[in-house]
Amino acid sequence: MDYKIYSPQDFPAYLPKLNLLYDDLFSGGKGFRSQLIGLVSEPLSLATSAQNLLGQTIEFIHNASLLHDDLVDRSQLRRGKKAAWAKYTPEYAVLAGDYLLARVMVNLSSHGNIKLVQYTSEIISDLLEGEWLQDSIVGDFFVTMEQLDRVHFLKTASLFKWCLRAPFIAQEKYDVNLHQILNEMGSILGQLFQRSDDLLDFDIRNQEGKAVLGDLKSGYLNSFGAFITNQMSRAQIDQMIKAHDLTEMKLIFSNDPAQAEQLFLKKVSDFDQLNTKLIELYEHHLTTLEQMLKGKEKDLIKNLAPLTEILYWRRKPKA
Amino acid sequence: MRSHRFISVKKADPLFSQYLLGKTADGLRPIPVETFNLGSPEETVTFEMLEQKEIQRPSVFEFVSRLIKLPTFLLILMPLFFVFTKNFVDDRFRDPFCIVLAAFAMLFLFAGLNIRNDVVDHLSGFDRVNIAFTAKPIMSGWVTAWKAAHISWILIGISFLISLPIFILQIELFRILVVVIVLLVVSQFFEKNSYKQNWLGEWTLFLLLGPALVSGYQVSLGAGIDTEGLAFGVLWGFACLFLIHVNNFSHMLTSSQAQIKNTMTKMGFDKAKKFLIAWWTTYFVLWFLFHWFYGGMFWTLFGTALLVFWSLPLFLKVAKIQSPIGSSLKEIRRESLKTFLMMVAILVVENLWYIGVKLDWTL
Repeated sequence: MDYKIYSPQDFPAYLPKLNLLYDDLFSGGKGFRSQLIGLVSEPLSLATSAQNLLGQTIEFIHNASLLHDDLVDRSQLRRGKKAAWAKYTPEYAVLAGDYLLARVMVNLSSHGNIKLVQYTSEIISDLLEGEWLQDSIVGDFFVTMEQLDRVHFLKTASLFKWCLRAPFIAQEKYDVNLHQILNEMGSILGQLFQRSDDLLDFDIRNQEGKAVLGDLKSGYLNSFGAFITNQMSRAQIDQMIKAHDLTEMKLIFSNDPAQAEQLFLKKVSDFDQLNTKLIELYEHHLTTLEQMLKGKEKDLIKNLAPLTEILYWRRKPKA
Repeated sequence: MRSHRFISVKKADPLFSQYLLGKTADGLRPIPVETFNLGSPEETVTFEMLEQKEIQRPSVFEFVSRLIKLPTFLLILMPLFFVFTKNFVDDRFRDPFCIVLAAFAMLFLFAGLNIRNDVVDHLSGFDRVNIAFTAKPIMSGWVTAWKAAHISWILIGISFLISLPIFILQIELFRILVVVIVLLVVSQFFEKNSYKQNWLGEWTLFLLLGPALVSGYQVSLGAGIDTEGLAFGVLWGFACLFLIHVNNFSHMLTSSQAQIKNTMTKMGFDKAKKFLIAWWTTYFVLWFLFHWFYGGMFWTLFGTALLVFWSLPLFLKVAKIQSPIGSSLKEIRRESLKTFLMMVAILVVENLWYIGVKLDWTL
């Protein structure tokens, strides 16, 4: 299902630059989160209007976070274009982000499900807490993976959890056990997505051509960085931070480039193995979830099963 | 690549406590990997079922050391050394037999309680909430909670047996026992998680590790409770409580998320930093006063100056810490421990000095 996420009619035409800014922001996004809403909503036979509302909500929240995030990180580019704060001023970027979040509350409250409004507010709080915490560890190159996980649970995983749970809440299905499972599956998906995204920074499965070592150069040690620096000496970590490119970075493993490459790939393989365990845990929950669903709802399993392939391995699921 | 086997169990399920205790019919070891709704009736824990050969085990020494938390034994050994020295110098070393028994009883009791603490943390889920800075024997699968609980009861039982003659020979010890029992019962009554997890629990630990412990040693030695012993107990308890505050500070984020209440989580990150600095500064004052009244002038001035000087890096690190989740938490813990150990080193040398003076530097 294709969602009409953004329409200029949704926003006041008299505000200068607002629609231009949103035109730039919403074009080019993959809309993965709203697609996830579709994958969950369709087996539940959720009304199209409700699906649209949820799809729009998650994209508004996500894009509001991008507007703020780019300013906080002073990132110049977003989706290959100049970031909003750089193009339209930081003040407009902040206000545009705030406005999106306000629209989320207006739209959701008009739906009339207070639990959905409450849950969405909690998720926005989690997201902001995660961003705040992430900002507090910029420049910390000794942070552990477990510590980063706690940040990612709040920052990245919260939106995935919302995508899985919100359609059920919109349908007034509040079973505690069901939401427990969905919550955990969302957390795992978010974590896998984040870890895979962190691998792109080291040019692993980087089909989309994301800038290499971008995180590291902005002073942020991501999860794969924390994984490889675990047990490393301070000198090795210093060498890693100072590396100009990936080839130079790999030399922290060995002075011989061929051996360094091999050791680097071994680390990638170990990291993949760690995440395979997470994928198996996701599949375990998927089995439990199946037992809680009835009739057509069971199609949800078929929709959710391939997500780990897409999100972590970044490949099309096997037919 | 081996595949992993997971089992999710709800609190209402009879298997729940069996799995947490590590009791399984198939000999597999269940290791909790995630917990939903901790502490609520809907709590569900997912266990990874490991075969014995899949568990990476440390050396026997490391296992025992981690199980009984060997480094923390300093907390009960330093007061013992102080009581030895003080009463040797004051010629009140009246019952060497009982103090030796008391020392052994305390070693067994402390080891048992340390293990018990881990078992309680495991069953309550506390060990799954916080990010561990060191490997936990139960969570690592080195030992089951069931076995650990048994070991702890055996150690506590041995401690009880060893201490029996002291209660016969030094009847005054019953008074301290009553105080300790009242403290434990009151704390247990008011506590949700464990003694270290709220305001009352923190002060209970202060009293147990400080004045109560020193008084117990004093009575076992036949020297009776006196103001100097109590003053040292307050000083020692205050220092121990500092370590507890630092530990709670380093877990502030995860504890807050789990809605655990203690002084640090109540204060919040920024105020807690100031509080830690204020606490250790107050410790300088207590240290100075204790030495002013009960120590030599040299140790009052030199010891205090040395302690203040040595504490400066700690103050700087606490003031500089920016995040409740980064690597600086580990540094703060390390620096606090270093400062604490330096304080202990000063006390040890000082007490050896008093023994030397008493012996006129001859053996």
